[in-house]
Amino acid sequence: MLTFTKPFRDGAGFDTVLVTLALGYLVLFSGFPLVYNLVMSFQEVDLFSLASFDRPYVGLDNYTDVLSRPETWGIFLNTVKFVGISVAAQLSIGFALAMFFQQNFPGSTWLRGLFLAGWIMPALVVGAVWSWILAGDFGVLNHVLMSLGLTSERIFWLSDPNVSLYSVILANIWLGVPFNMILLSVGLAGIPEDIYEAAEMDGANAVQRFFTITLPMMRAQLGAVISLGVIFTLQQFDLFAALTQGGPSNASNVFQYWSWQLSFQYYEIGVGSVISVLMILFVILVAAVYVRSTRHEHIA
Amino acid sequence: MMKKYGLTTIALCLVSLYLFPLYWMYVTALKSGTEIFANPPTFWPDNPQWMVGEVWTRLKMDVYLWNSLLIASGVTIIVAICGTGCAYVLARIRNRWMDVVLFIVLMMQVLPSSLMITPIFVAFNQVGLNEVPRTSVILAQAAKVLPLYIVLCRATFLQVPRELEEAALVDGNSRIGAFLSIIVPLARNGILVTSVLIFLQSFGEYVYSRSLITQRALQPATVGLQSFMGPNTSDWSGVMTYSAIYVTPVLIIFVLLQRQIVSGLTSGALK
Repeated sequence: MLTFTKPFRDGAGFDTVLVTLALGYLVLFSGFPLVYNLVMSFQEVDLFSLASFDRPYVGLDNYTDVLSRPETWGIFLNTVKFVGISVAAQLSIGFALAMFFQQNFPGSTWLRGLFLAGWIMPALVVGAVWSWILAGDFGVLNHVLMSLGLTSERIFWLSDPNVSLYSVILANIWLGVPFNMILLSVGLAGIPEDIYEAAEMDGANAVQRFFTITLPMMRAQLGAVISLGVIFTLQQFDLFAALTQGGPSNASNVFQYWSWQLSFQYYEIGVGSVISVLMILFVILVAAVYVRSTRHEHIA
Repeated sequence: MMKKYGLTTIALCLVSLYLFPLYWMYVTALKSGTEIFANPPTFWPDNPQWMVGEVWTRLKMDVYLWNSLLIASGVTIIVAICGTGCAYVLARIRNRWMDVVLFIVLMMQVLPSSLMITPIFVAFNQVGLNEVPRTSVILAQAAKVLPLYIVLCRATFLQVPRELEEAALVDGNSRIGAFLSIIVPLARNGILVTSVLIFLQSFGEYVYSRSLITQRALQPATVGLQSFMGPNTSDWSGVMTYSAIYVTPVLIIFVLLQRQIVSGLTSGALK
C-alpha cells in the first residue's frame, strides 16, 4: 500500500492529483452542462419531458423557431446596444478616472479604492437601490434633472419602453466603472515616467502626450479590459431582474435574460438552450481573444 | 502643495458623486414611510426612524441571511479545497499540458450563470439534486467561482520563492509536507483575501438560487429582497432598510480589506 501511494504523496503524481481534483470538479459541473446544453438544443424539452432521459430529437427546429420569432431581432439589437454602450461608457469613464487618480496627491490610492465599494455589493441590491433612484414619481434622479432644468416632465425610467433599456445600461455602467478604472490604473502605473519627461522637453503638450504615449502604451491593457468588459456585461442578469424584468414587453430584454425567461417562466427549455448555446459560443470566442492577447503580452 | 490638496478635494467630490446611490440607500432607510414621498425629496432625514428591528422580524431576515451565509460558506469551502492545490501546480509547472489546463480554467471562468442554469437545472432534476436545493446552489456556484479562485491564488503562489520549497524537500519533507507546512503558510494572505472575495460574491448570488430554490424558507437574501420588492412596491424605506442591513457587513469587510482586495484583483486579472 505504501509503495502504491508514494508517487502521489511524493512524486509528480502529487501534481496530477491536485490538478485532477479541480479539473474534475469543473468538468462535472461546468463542462458536462455545456455539452448537455448543446444536446438539449436539439431536443424538445418542456415541463413534461423534463425528468425523462428519452426525449425526442427535433433536429434544428429549436434554432429555426428562435430565428423566426418576431421578438428575436429586437432583443438582439438590445443586447448589442447594452454591451456596446455599457462597455464604451465604462471604459471612457474608467480611463478618465484612472488618469485623474494617477496624479500623485494625498489619499489618491485610498480614495480610488473606495470606488470598488460599488463593485463588491450584490448586483441585486445595486438594482434595488437604482430602481428607487429611478422611480418615476418620487425618484431622486427625476427631481435633480427637473430642478436643474434638464427636463420639464418626469421620465418614467423603468416603464417607458423608449428609455427602460437605457436605465439598465446606466446602472450597469455604474457597476462596471470601478473595475475598469482599477485595471487601467495598473497599466498607467507601468508606463515609465521619463518617457513623459522626454516628450515634455521636446515640447509635446498634454493632448499630444496622451495620443502618442499613453494610448499606444496602453494598447494591450485596453484590449484586455474591453474583452473583460464584454464578458462581464454579458453576464449581467441581476440588474434586469431588479429593474425591468426585460419589460415593458421586451423593450429592455437581452439574450441572457430572455434565455432564462424562456426556460424558467415559459418552460420552453429547448428554445432557452438554443440561445444559451449561441451566447456561450460568443462569450468563449471573446474570452479566447482575451487570453491570446494577454499571452502575447507575456512573451513581449 | 495647494495644488495637491486641490486635487484631493476634486477626488473627494468624485467619490461622493459616485457613492451617492449608497448614501441614498442609507438615508432612505432612515426616513419614515411618509417622508420618502416628500416633494421635493429631503437629502437628510427630518425625523430619523430606526426600523432595523422591525424590518428584520417582519421580513424574516434571519432566515434569508442564514441561508445566504450557509451558501457562501459552502461555496468557499469547496472552492478552497479543490482550487488551492491546482493554483499551486499551475504556478509551479510550465509545460504544454499546464497551458491547456490554464486555458480551460480561463474559459470556464467566463460562462454566464444565467445561461448555464438551464442545463444545470435539468440535469440536477434528473439526478434528484432538487431535493436538496441549497446544496445544488452551492455545487453550481462553486463551479462558477472556482476558476476565479484558481487564477487569483495562482498569482499569489507565483510570488512564493521556489528555493524555500526545494530546501524543505532536501530537508526530507514529502511533497505533501512541503506543500502544507511551507508553501500554503507563505501564501496565506493571498489565499485568505481570495477566499473572502469568493465568499462575498457567493453571499450575493442570485441566478442559481432564484432558479433552483422554490421553498421560501431555504432562499437566500437576494431572492428574499427580489420577492419583497415586487413590481409595484411602495414600501421603499422598507426595501432600503433591508438592503442596508444586507450590505453593511459586506461594506465593512470591504473597507477593512480594501488594499489587499484591490492588489489581489489587479495581480490576477491581467496575468
